[in-house]
Amino acid sequence: MFFHIVLERNMQLHPRYFGRNLRDNLVSKLMKDVEGTCSGRHGFVVAVTGIENIGKGLIRDGTGFVTFPVKYQCVVFRPFKGEILEAVVTMVNKMGFFAEAGPVQIFVSNHLIPDDMEFQSGDIPNYTTSDGSVKIQKDSEVRLKIIGTRVDATEIFCIGTIKDDFLGVINDPTTV
Amino acid sequence: MSDKTASMLNKGGLKGKDDSATKSAKGRRVQFSREGPFESVMSDSPKSGGKGDFSKGGKGDKGANGKKTSTSKEPQPSEPKIEFPENVKCLMDSEAADILQRIQDQMVMLSRDSSIKIPVSFDKGLEYAKSNSKYAKPEFVGQTLQHLAGYGVSDSELCVIGNACPETADEAYALVPSLKGKRSLNSEILQDALSELAKLKQPI
Repeated sequence: MFFHIVLERNMQLHPRYFGRNLRDNLVSKLMKDVEGTCSGRHGFVVAVTGIENIGKGLIRDGTGFVTFPVKYQCVVFRPFKGEILEAVVTMVNKMGFFAEAGPVQIFVSNHLIPDDMEFQSGDIPNYTTSDGSVKIQKDSEVRLKIIGTRVDATEIFCIGTIKDDFLGVINDPTTV
Repeated sequence: MSDKTASMLNKGGLKGKDDSATKSAKGRRVQFSREGPFESVMSDSPKSGGKGDFSKGGKGDKGANGKKTSTSKEPQPSEPKIEFPENVKCLMDSEAADILQRIQDQMVMLSRDSSIKIPVSFDKGLEYAKSNSKYAKPEFVGQTLQHLAGYGVSDSELCVIGNACPETADEAYALVPSLKGKRSLNSEILQDALSELAKLKQPI
């Protein structure tokens, strides 16, 4: 899920950026520093949307750098347990399949795929029901439920399930 | 428990005039017994050892106790749910798509500045938000769902409903099991809100 959130960060700025454009420089450095990063607490920082306020700078002892406390608003993407996501399948193998929802990777183990779906190897590996009516392969869209998350310094990895009511394939690339 | 140990220690102190070392050791043993899992191990080892071992065991135990308390405290902070502290607003995919799209439009102007690069996660986020926003009129979705908030449905639950856009009350209950716990909310109210929501959907 996306969240709009206010975060704070201490920005260190080199004196060469001081002057009339100090604020602009600070903001562009903030965007460069935080956009695309991922933290366990807040998830992926997708975009900075605004600056709340910039505090008074503090000169670092021994260097010319100045630290500014910056409060900013941003859009973050953070999956959580129990959330329903619609994800695109990126890889299928006999262990299960990987899917992607925005910047987040989700793995669905074959234990969490309905029992009537069997793995079919071949050019396009897929999971298919015995009557062939439902098929999960690369680029399929599935609705899944997050049952666990693991957070890394740079990415969030989720475990999902489609073995529940109202979960599973939404659309099949072969039928479109 | 603390009263007991205190009384035990007092007894030890009173009787311990003749053999203070063993009594103080007993006092320690009582202390160990408060510490749960270590109890059996700790109370056994002093029995087997001599007097000298008592004090060693005691010191070791204290160290162990210290570790134990620190480890038992550690998991607690990591457990709390995803609830952010404050200043947080859940965004439905359609709302997020709107915000991100506006930013991207601005980026086109900024992109002449080569030092600003649009991160991969921005593109992926925007693409995801766009593909998942199923509403023709996203601005009314919030209003429609806000009606449910009066029945104790939380912000994040509303967002999940808004994103998944279930068609029936049963589907909503299956996708968001926590809705079952809301006493004031019944399936009719939910169904009404969902059918309102369905009207806002983009024709496919």
